Amino acid sequence: MSYGDNMPKISIIVASDKIDKIFPAVTLATTASVMGWEAELFFTFWGLLVLKKNYEVKEVSLDYKNFEEKLKESIDSGVIPSWKEILEQGKKTGRLKIYACSTTMSLLGIKKEDLIEDVDEIVGAATFLSKAKDSNINFFIS
Amino acid sequence: MKVDLIVDARYKSCPGPLLALGEAIMKAQPGQVIMLLATDPAAPSDVKEWASNVGHKVIKVEKVDDTYQIYVEVSI
Repeated sequence: MSYGDNMPKISIIVASDKIDKIFPAVTLATTASVMGWEAELFFTFWGLLVLKKNYEVKEVSLDYKNFEEKLKESIDSGVIPSWKEILEQGKKTGRLKIYACSTTMSLLGIKKEDLIEDVDEIVGAATFLSKAKDSNINFFIS
Repeated sequence: MKVDLIVDARYKSCPGPLLALGEAIMKAQPGQVIMLLATDPAAPSDVKEWASNVGHKVIKVEKVDDTYQIYVEVSI
């Protein structure tokens, strides 16, 4: 099964490792890819942490700490898939690309071998901008 | 109506039903009909949007108790 060329494209910059930021980012990117669109996720700053092997996304943003238990319960009960499962499904389409920010890696001392294998490329700002410039939808989630 | 495959995504929230359908459709053949079961109220409109983007056809949506039965014809 293949989809036509000229499908829309979405690019999302992810700059947080919190549950409430990661879920919308991977949900939108994966849903886009399942709809036949191209999708790009660019992980920078604290967002890059989630690309580390075995990194657990387990906290919500500070202002919404009181929802943390409820959120974890819903995820554990399978009402929504885990963020990793959502991402994996996007990767299976072949239309979701994951980019890691090179500057963040050097700032935080993270090496390529520390990252999960789903990462397509380690890129800088100019490369991401040139990839994202023809996107129909651009988001910055932090 | 002949249904070739039933995908049960009841009690899953967005994007669960769509992802379950997307996974099933990768193995399906053109002309087959998939019935998606979902309780997420967003499922009927999400599946219609998805179908119109990728070129499949939603042929019927029924609601039985709290469950939507969404019939999708695999078109490509």
